[in-house]
Amino acid sequence: MRKKLRVLLIVLGIAIGVAAVIGVTALGEGIRVQAVEQIKASHDLTTIEVSAGVSGESVTLITNSKINAIESSPHVALVAPYVKDSYVTQNNTYLAVKGIAAEYRQIHEQQLQIAQGSWFAEAEAAGTPVQVVLGYDVARRLALVEDLDVGDELVVKLRLYGEEGRPVDKRTTFRIAGTLESTGDEHDNEVLMAVTNALELDEKGSYDGLIVKVDDPAFAAAVRERIKDLGLSAHSAQDVIDEVNRLMVAVTLVLGFFSGISLIVGALMVINTMIISVFERTREIGLTKALGASDFDVMKLFLAECVIIGVIGGICGDLFGIGFSVLIDLVGKPFLVSALGGSIGANLEAGSITIVTPTILVAGFAISLVLSVVSGLYPALRAARLSPLDALRQL
Amino acid sequence: MTVETRALTKQYGMGTQKVVALDGVDLSVEEGDFISIVGPSGSGKSTLLHIVGCLDAPTDGEVYLKGSRVDYRDKRSLVLLRRHFIGFIFQAYNLIPALTAVENVEYPLYFTKGMRSKSERKARAQRLLALVGLEHRAHHLPSELSGGELQRVAIARALANDPALILADEPTGNLDSKTGRSILELLKRLSTEEGKTIIMVTHDLASAQRMSTVVEILDGRIQNRP
Repeated sequence: MRKKLRVLLIVLGIAIGVAAVIGVTALGEGIRVQAVEQIKASHDLTTIEVSAGVSGESVTLITNSKINAIESSPHVALVAPYVKDSYVTQNNTYLAVKGIAAEYRQIHEQQLQIAQGSWFAEAEAAGTPVQVVLGYDVARRLALVEDLDVGDELVVKLRLYGEEGRPVDKRTTFRIAGTLESTGDEHDNEVLMAVTNALELDEKGSYDGLIVKVDDPAFAAAVRERIKDLGLSAHSAQDVIDEVNRLMVAVTLVLGFFSGISLIVGALMVINTMIISVFERTREIGLTKALGASDFDVMKLFLAECVIIGVIGGICGDLFGIGFSVLIDLVGKPFLVSALGGSIGANLEAGSITIVTPTILVAGFAISLVLSVVSGLYPALRAARLSPLDALRQL
Repeated sequence: MTVETRALTKQYGMGTQKVVALDGVDLSVEEGDFISIVGPSGSGKSTLLHIVGCLDAPTDGEVYLKGSRVDYRDKRSLVLLRRHFIGFIFQAYNLIPALTAVENVEYPLYFTKGMRSKSERKARAQRLLALVGLEHRAHHLPSELSGGELQRVAIARALANDPALILADEPTGNLDSKTGRSILELLKRLSTEEGKTIIMVTHDLASAQRMSTVVEILDGRIQNRP
């Protein structure tokens, strides 16, 4: 009876330790999944942003041959090149101009909606005004500051750098073909024009970036690798997800490790209890050996007890851990939601901040079992090494 | 020859504090013999039993069991001898309190390879309990049994692995004379009917003389030749 109580207490000790580790790990996992889900919801995982590759001193530019190479890669649905330039109006209003290909509009079909006027047509001949579409904020600013509207023309300067490095201003005329609805992203502050016109104006000969769309998010990583092999740099929402995953796994590991300190206490309890048990059963051990048990048989006898403790501790630990996770969700979530506030908080509220995966449960069980058996090794070895005669003489 | 010792010597302690427990003991026991070793406390009779039982190693001399010499440095062979060749009976019974009578008899079988089936072990334990006349008490705990019954369970346990040699260390020491006599009769029966070789250490010279061949030991030496 006394022994049963003792075993119950160790099982509890181990179970609480395991539960703490499970709770913390489940919290880390829950927050990780939430973060990844939020990224997935706000980003298109099928698009890859490509920019010029820099390795040491050399720069790999995005040229037409690179674009052809990317276009011919498997699973690439669309390649949308663009160039970016800075223009100023005569009143020194800064304009961020982006020359975009038709594919670019295709990829951003959802966001880029004309509010007034129409999309630009490419300027046929040199000297004719370049048609542009204004982003929502640019349109408002130009209307306010320079009193410009759809259909109006404006003279702008593009600063180029000559052969000898001296700045040369190039004048040209824009015609406002239309304005965009607000998109809520960088397009609100951009002036869009055909990429062909932009390349003629800035004389760069290469693109500033590409947006590559793959037919299936599953192949995004492979396509990205292919692009990187071409010497270009490529980014996608997956990078952010990878970053979040790395961070959360590291944080969870550190937290799990420290919450695992309680397991050391559990291990010490097992060692202590088993040593007492060996001491109490010295006579029984002596008898067992006199009856023909080998050292290994005696060790097995004690380790079997540890296995039982470990199994029960693991099961209880898993159950407590699930309970603990539910508790964190109930108590911790309102706190986190109010602390974070805004859209992040609102998103958190919808889901659960702890996720107990089968892997976590299996790991919790394994920790308990391994801990019990390893802690029992020393006492069991001590029992096995007892001399049968000395053990029998003792009472 | 089941048991033979040659010039068996056992010393305890070191240097000048040396205590000689056995001093050149030569003993031969034939198969089916029932030998009682008698002598005062400290005469070395228990030491002799422990050495023959492979629980203790001699300082000098040789022990032959079944004709082959016991190597006291080879722990594995000692384990096998204890398991298959020797059965122990103790004065204090040494039954495991948490196990019932039949489970106590089964206990040594757990360490025996080839006796792994549960029903096989149970049947054997029941049969042995019947042999000592305790089949009706099989499912009682040691705390529910009398001294004589406890010693019968212990004898059944000693027989679990069907050993050729039974070593009994004062088996009647804790029993009244009537119960003690019935235990000795049981041991006698084991030697005559089952052919077991029995070496018993006892204080009770009168009973020993009635039942068995007596070997007297004093100061580590055998006083008479049986």
